[in-house]
Amino acid sequence: MNGLWLVAQREIRTRIRTRSYLISLAVSAVLVAALAFLPKVLGGDDTYDVGVVGDAPPPAAQLAYSRYPDEAAARKAVIDGDLDAALINGDKVLANGELDQRLGLILESAHRDAQIKAAGLTITPLTVESVGADARYQGVRTGIATLIVMVLFFLLIYSSMFVAMGVVEEKGSRIVEILLTSVRPWQLLGGKIVGLGSLGLVNLVVVIAAGLSASFATGFTADLPPGTGGIVVSAVVWFVLGYAFFSALAAAFGSLVSRQEELNSVLTPMTMLMTLTYLTAYFAAVEPAGTVARVLSFVPPFSSMVMPVRTAAADVPMGEILIAGALMVVAVVAVLLGAARVYRRAVLRTGARVKLGEVVR
Amino acid sequence: MLEIDGLRKRYGDKTALDGVGFTVRPGETFGFVGANGAGKTTTMRIIMGVLDADSGEVRLDGRPVTYDARRTFGYMPEERGLYQKMKVAEQIEYFGRLHGLAPATARSATAALIERLGLVERRDDAVEALSLGNQQRVQLAVALVHEPAVLILDEPFSGLDPLAVDALAEVLKDRAAAGVPVIFSSHQLDLVERLCDSVGIISSGRMVAYGPVGELREREGRGVLRVVVRDAAPGWADGLPGELTREGGRDVLLCEEGDDQDILRTAIGAGRVEHFGRRQPTLAEIFREAVA
Repeated sequence: MNGLWLVAQREIRTRIRTRSYLISLAVSAVLVAALAFLPKVLGGDDTYDVGVVGDAPPPAAQLAYSRYPDEAAARKAVIDGDLDAALINGDKVLANGELDQRLGLILESAHRDAQIKAAGLTITPLTVESVGADARYQGVRTGIATLIVMVLFFLLIYSSMFVAMGVVEEKGSRIVEILLTSVRPWQLLGGKIVGLGSLGLVNLVVVIAAGLSASFATGFTADLPPGTGGIVVSAVVWFVLGYAFFSALAAAFGSLVSRQEELNSVLTPMTMLMTLTYLTAYFAAVEPAGTVARVLSFVPPFSSMVMPVRTAAADVPMGEILIAGALMVVAVVAVLLGAARVYRRAVLRTGARVKLGEVVR
Repeated sequence: MLEIDGLRKRYGDKTALDGVGFTVRPGETFGFVGANGAGKTTTMRIIMGVLDADSGEVRLDGRPVTYDARRTFGYMPEERGLYQKMKVAEQIEYFGRLHGLAPATARSATAALIERLGLVERRDDAVEALSLGNQQRVQLAVALVHEPAVLILDEPFSGLDPLAVDALAEVLKDRAAAGVPVIFSSHQLDLVERLCDSVGIISSGRMVAYGPVGELREREGRGVLRVVVRDAAPGWADGLPGELTREGGRDVLLCEEGDDQDILRTAIGAGRVEHFGRRQPTLAEIFREAVA
């Protein structure tokens, strides 16, 4: 275990000192923070600017009033686009072309309320009770799910790639021959996976922290659905499982070649599987309740991205999550054992690319 | 004592090793000599456990060598390998730790080696910034940092300048004096002759000659008599077996047969005998003979 830890430490120390790591960390944090700001920027503010001439109406949640001295000034402001509408003496509305439907409803209802109040009547509003799933946060949840897909995919492919590159570096430079006289293959492989995985985890946590703090800063947090914490935790746990799976694959495939230039082609099966996982997860983000999403959220390695997306976008019973998790753990163990076997047999055979069939039997 | 016993290894239908065996005592330096592809590297890899033999055994002090025992070995593979972007001192220390040294021990052993190998000014440079000779020194430091109980060096002298060769030779003598069995392979036979107590010549996966250097030279000399005579009249050796040549104004007679006393008497009668003795072949000659 000591050997594994030493190898992991070296990976972390070496990687964390490189400029590219720090830059990519900063860039991803900024990117996610920017994404969190995006709804605010794109949606603009969701209040209407309404000019008022004469008596001010009672304040309403989505209306921002500004006073104008007379109708002519208000009319000009509407035409110039400074105002969405102008309310003249409480009973006339000026609009540029057709009045925004929603704004019309708000103004109409405010107008009605004022008249009812003036007549001395009180009315009770309708009570609404949802009998189906809570759909209030559907948009936000889909958004979060999509974001999780992207971040997971990026981090998985990035971290696994580094594992593969590290394996090839050691094999190509023949340093592995000395390493293997002092550590066992599984320690070397495991140390690399653990070390680079910890850095990936740091990346993920930084990205999440950046996203959440940006949300706090914009006040977007209030709009986050309840259970966001659970979604985040599940994303982290599934990242660890997915990473263990894909990085072990990457290491096994990487150990077949001796040169970095050959890496891309030898990794193709893995990157294809990863891309397929990404696409299904993306699909699941859009249609979390569909049969495809449901089924694939149980099948490793698809589950590693589909399940966190499903939990983010819809309500998934705990039992299903646990079953999917257990299946994924089994797959991870199987892949780790297989990868260790391939790695052990292939990593010392330098030169031409080793055929996979020669090292699994 | 390190015993290599009956190693066999095949790659497909190609035989790499066909029963290689030899013994290296504590404090003995063993020179491993052979043409390219003869099986030196394969043998050393099997000793280090990097490769598995099809049959045969490597024993240390009578017991089969285990993984844990090998961790105390020092190894310099034929294909050098270092982390190019890692700093010199950091790298040596890392390998010390991997071999099981405590952090403080690894650090002090690293400092001592860096001093000894003349890398002090380079200790914080990345390996890739070093000259090949200096990289080789780092490679050696990596093999030595944990004070190995056995040293296995594959072509340690190749690519070294004469100063570095001397430094490395010193280090090897040192380790041997400390009771460590040392095995190294080399194509520089003069070095092997100078440094080694015993030599093994391998050809096509078999040991064709093996033994202490002096013994080997005597045995392989096969009694060729060499007589050097000065101021002798031409034709003095006509009645004798052997071959007469002239070298630097002297007659040189090489005889593989005939009675040595007769030859000596004739030579003394002919002129001034400057040399008379059984000729000892150089290692290079033995090598050529053995692998031919």
